[in-house]
Amino acid sequence: MAAVELKGLTKRYGETTAVAEVSLRIEHGQLVCLLGPSGCGKTTTLRLIAGFIEPSAGEIVVGGKVLSSPQRTVPPEGRNMSMIFQSYALWPHMTVAENVAYGLRIRKLDKATIEGKLKAILSTAHLEALADRYPGELSGGQQQRVSLARALVVEPETLLLDEPLSNLDANLREEMRFEIRRLHDRYRYTTVYVTHDQAEAMTTADLIAVMNHGKVEQIGPPEEIYGRPRSEFVARFIGGSNILRGSAIDDARVTVAGAPLRTTGRPLQAGRPVALSVRQHEIAIANEKPQSADNHLPAVVTRQVFLGSVRDYTVALDDKTELRVTAPPGRNIAPGQAVWLHLPAEQCRALAEE
Amino acid sequence: MPASSRSEAATADLPVRSSLQLDLSRPILIAVTALLVVMIALPMGWLIVYSLSDKQGTATLGNFVTLFTDPSFVDPLITTLIIAVSVSAICCIVAAPLGWLVARTDMPIRRIVRTLVMASLVTPPFVGAIAWEMLAAPNSGLLNQLWRSLTGMPSDEALFDIYSLTGLIFVIACYTFPYVFILVANALDRMPGELEDASSMLGAKTWQTARRITMPLALPTLLAGALVAFLQALNLFGSPAILAIPAGFHTLTTRIWSLFQFPPKPELAAAASLPLLLLTILLLRGQALALGRRGYAVLGGKYGEPRLVRLGAWRLPAAALALLVLAMPLFLPYAALFNSAFSRVASRLVTLDTITLHNVRFTFLELSSTMPALKNTFLLATLSATLGAVLALLIAYIVARRAVPGHRVLAFLATAPLAIPGIVLGVGLFLAYTRPPLTLYGTLWILLIAFITIELPAAYQQLSSAFHAVHPELEEAGRMLGASRLRTLADITAPLLRSAVIATWCFVFVAVIRELSAAVILFTSETKVLSVLIFDLKESGDVGAIAVLSLTMVGITTVVVAVANRFGGGREAGRLHARTAG
Repeated sequence: MAAVELKGLTKRYGETTAVAEVSLRIEHGQLVCLLGPSGCGKTTTLRLIAGFIEPSAGEIVVGGKVLSSPQRTVPPEGRNMSMIFQSYALWPHMTVAENVAYGLRIRKLDKATIEGKLKAILSTAHLEALADRYPGELSGGQQQRVSLARALVVEPETLLLDEPLSNLDANLREEMRFEIRRLHDRYRYTTVYVTHDQAEAMTTADLIAVMNHGKVEQIGPPEEIYGRPRSEFVARFIGGSNILRGSAIDDARVTVAGAPLRTTGRPLQAGRPVALSVRQHEIAIANEKPQSADNHLPAVVTRQVFLGSVRDYTVALDDKTELRVTAPPGRNIAPGQAVWLHLPAEQCRALAEE
Repeated sequence: MPASSRSEAATADLPVRSSLQLDLSRPILIAVTALLVVMIALPMGWLIVYSLSDKQGTATLGNFVTLFTDPSFVDPLITTLIIAVSVSAICCIVAAPLGWLVARTDMPIRRIVRTLVMASLVTPPFVGAIAWEMLAAPNSGLLNQLWRSLTGMPSDEALFDIYSLTGLIFVIACYTFPYVFILVANALDRMPGELEDASSMLGAKTWQTARRITMPLALPTLLAGALVAFLQALNLFGSPAILAIPAGFHTLTTRIWSLFQFPPKPELAAAASLPLLLLTILLLRGQALALGRRGYAVLGGKYGEPRLVRLGAWRLPAAALALLVLAMPLFLPYAALFNSAFSRVASRLVTLDTITLHNVRFTFLELSSTMPALKNTFLLATLSATLGAVLALLIAYIVARRAVPGHRVLAFLATAPLAIPGIVLGVGLFLAYTRPPLTLYGTLWILLIAFITIELPAAYQQLSSAFHAVHPELEEAGRMLGASRLRTLADITAPLLRSAVIATWCFVFVAVIRELSAAVILFTSETKVLSVLIFDLKESGDVGAIAVLSLTMVGITTVVVAVANRFGGGREAGRLHARTAG
């Protein structure tokens, strides 16, 4: 087993660039999520790693061997990888057992070994009772488990998952997230997981690479991606953030809607425009004017919705910027009322300039 | 139906209208059912009655005894089976690789090849047979002349003899393999590429994936294609009539036809039609079984575009092979047809010095039967297409919207003629309408009934799938907004179906123009149509006129098919044509 390394990986289709200079190192045994909206290039990146398509520039190195480069690409069958497809891609003319044992038969293992491995993986995936069924006779969740079993039984060096849960209903999806993490902890394959669902990425990944327009915007552990988004895109895409625009007063303060706000994050340059991100639930909302004006902004409630465990407010600042605020449900502030917002300095993150 | 009754209650005038609808639906159902029963049961009933009667009309099994003992019937039966088996084998051998090359590889010109194979279907099989006669008749055939002039062989030597069993099998296969090709290529198009990708990811080499995944998945389609080819070869009349009779043997269809020559033996013809009918029904059942097992439906959600297999150094040889295959139904026959049409002597290659419009002038100005035949053909094609499309539309609506109880019976009746070979229907109609109360034989009506009956299943299937594509909720949304049932039909359903109706009309029109096997039993000298005229001219050997009329027929067909394709019916073309054995 080996680390997977992408070096300046680029894929162009005519004028459009699907993947733009993606560089990424996935250590042995790590699970990396490629997270992003549809069309961000994550699936193309995965298919490049799988060897279905050739890069226009850059290379893919696995265990010190160059598997893909514009000059030479090892075909998928020569890579010892496994893949789980969005559609599962189960062969409708083979039973569950035949589907799962296929990779073993291709590897020309002897009958007894195949039987043994097949039995073991079917029991791990809770599929023993379904071994002789055809895929058409299985539910979505069962098909998903067959496709996992088929991919894992060959003990690949690298495991690739392409939106594996997108065809399941909500309950099952949540269950399978933990199942995938459990299987990963057990087998420790180097894994690349493509998804557009941040909860899925948070649950399963060691590292998340947020992609947009073919580029990796930010890469890091889930806590870091969530806690310290580096770009406006990441801040918006991961867990509802408000974006405030202003200009820097000094290296740590920004004027927003006429009021000064202290910030964290990168040092600022006086006079430059700055974008700040603040999460919805990190803003406090109050009726009364606070004692200190420190990091407080006046606003007017424009809409308010009771959601049970929280209230979801939309408020407008003096410069008409709209913010979303998630507040405890106890106090009810009607639309039209003037309020004061407290934005703690440690939650006002200055984002990288775009 | 609480939702719809509530919406009706909301509109003041609706209760009246819906009760009116209830009153009308039953008579409509009964009328349509009765019409279909008469159309199908009457000819088939007389067919069975005749097959069990002797000349005087007393009951007997003697016809069947004759059928299965007299060599003049047993031989054609065996010949027909040999032809059908060989044709379906050849079609699979040619169509499967060609379909794969076109759908799954990076062969150059694969789009053109696909279009040309489909285009070769506009050639009526009997026109193809005539063209191959011009190419490969032992003496006058252009290919044989070429071979003799290249090798210096004496004039009684021939490279090809099209008047032979092999020649006939070859020509039938030429115009049958496109059906198999379309089935295979479409199946490979629809087969998700991820199924092959999954195999590659697990370490299977390209050929292993092809053998274990692609081929088993395509097999049911190929089997269905083999059955289509078998059926086509079984029920074809034109090509064997043109090639087998000069060669001195019969197939089942030509033998049935010969029983209508003087002195007519309709009882024997009826008896000989039954095996053809039974075999067709059995094979259609078999085809449904082949396609229906093990849930070959696509599983899961979105699938990606299939990856194309790289042929590398084989790209050009593959393209050359595809063009060679296309030469058989397309390039060579049309070269021969154009040559004969514009040359004074059909067996000479036309040059710029000898090119002439003599044949065109003769055909359209001097040949007295051309204009009546064209008039009859256009009249019948227009009427059949219009009436057929209206009938099919009515049935499709009743069945798709379950408008009345018993709609399933209608669906069955509308598809039943699929199992009746054209020549068998011709015999049945002849028997049914040469007697009072409806003596239609000798009129255009009998041809009209024949053509509508033959084309109804295809028209119904096309419109039925169009109806299914219009989700009932689209109509319900209209009714919720206050439009009546008829109003939603006019405002919402009709515009959505328009292109399907136009396409259906065009395809029925085309199918009627090229129909030969039923027409050849039912025509009289007053009611000749274009296909029969061409067939008849064979007797007089007027090759130039035959070529001109054949090209005219193909020209009309091409124009109408092009119109239909513009309206989006192109994909159905293969399936629709699959029914019309010439």
